[in-house]
Amino acid sequence: MKIGFINGSPKKEGSASGCLLAELKEILKQPVSEYCIRSRRDTLPDELAEQDVLVMAMPLYVDGVPSHMLSCLTELETLLKGRKITVYAIINCGFFEAAQNRWAIAILQNWCQRTGLKWGQAIGVGGGGMMPMLKDIPPGKGPKKNLSRALETLAKNILNEQSGETLLVSPNFPRFLYRKAAEMGWRRQIKENGLKAKDLSARPSGSC
Amino acid sequence: MKMIIHDLKPEQEERLFSAKEDLLTVSAKETIKTCIGCFGCWLKTPGRCVLKDQYQEMGRDLSLCGELIIISRCVYGSFSPMVKSVMDRCIPYLHPCFTIRGGEMHHRRRYDNRLKISAFFYGEDLTEKERETAEHIVRANCVNLDGDMGRIAFLKKGEALEGEWI
Repeated sequence: MKIGFINGSPKKEGSASGCLLAELKEILKQPVSEYCIRSRRDTLPDELAEQDVLVMAMPLYVDGVPSHMLSCLTELETLLKGRKITVYAIINCGFFEAAQNRWAIAILQNWCQRTGLKWGQAIGVGGGGMMPMLKDIPPGKGPKKNLSRALETLAKNILNEQSGETLLVSPNFPRFLYRKAAEMGWRRQIKENGLKAKDLSARPSGSC
Repeated sequence: MKMIIHDLKPEQEERLFSAKEDLLTVSAKETIKTCIGCFGCWLKTPGRCVLKDQYQEMGRDLSLCGELIIISRCVYGSFSPMVKSVMDRCIPYLHPCFTIRGGEMHHRRRYDNRLKISAFFYGEDLTEKERETAEHIVRANCVNLDGDMGRIAFLKKGEALEGEWI
């Protein structure tokens, strides 16, 4: 079985999508062809059409699929039309609630239908911002408990090319702490950039 | 002022908007740089995108408006890639810190203005599921931008848009 991963994060390294795909690869224990789409100028290799399974991972941008991945999907519609490929997706958002990924997942399902591909399954992941920080935590432990279980289910379905219900996974971690940690992170990072914490609230003004 | 984000052809833009006043039209062009998720608009130049092109001030420009109208080809239930590129560049309008809205985590507002958000989607053979998805997306955008829902409509062609709707 040929399995292809598409990492749709624009980040070169340290992306939540990359972390999630790495964990899935560990579980699959199968050779995987990995592709990155960081901008709409990235070319899509023809060999994508030869895969039996495609797993797309991407961040949620403004409630939907990031624009460069939308461009990619329109090109893939032509490249993959009518092929016998099962599509799986992992979408993560910086918000705590995994359910906020649901409309981006719907977009991918609509794309699948237009392209004539089989829809496999999606995982919507909440708390994506903490994903790179959790990479050294063993699967199934602490904040990763539910996520690891979902990735196990996804891997099982991928290996059998089966479809499954969408899995929405928020971190096993209190939301108020996630929020606090994220906001402390913003204050620390803006100071590292030579600005003050109050500058987070800057309001550029003027006429357009 | 109203902001219109659209992917219409120049002649359609001319027909629909040239006689209107108090309108800020943002044409989604192929030259737009896509958001790279760097958070520079929150942490390096707060409120302003770090990518240098004509869409750098989307945050400030939205703050000057009371209404946002999005006109877009509907692609898989989403905005078109170009219109979505503009939407993705709108996050400087928001504050990086969070609030709980409708039981869900969202970004706090950076500015005080409240946007009424409408969307006109066009496309010839949209499926029911695509229309549903598009509607949900606009409603979700409305919650995220802490705005008020305006009108959502689906048209067969961009040409079918009437100036009086804007």
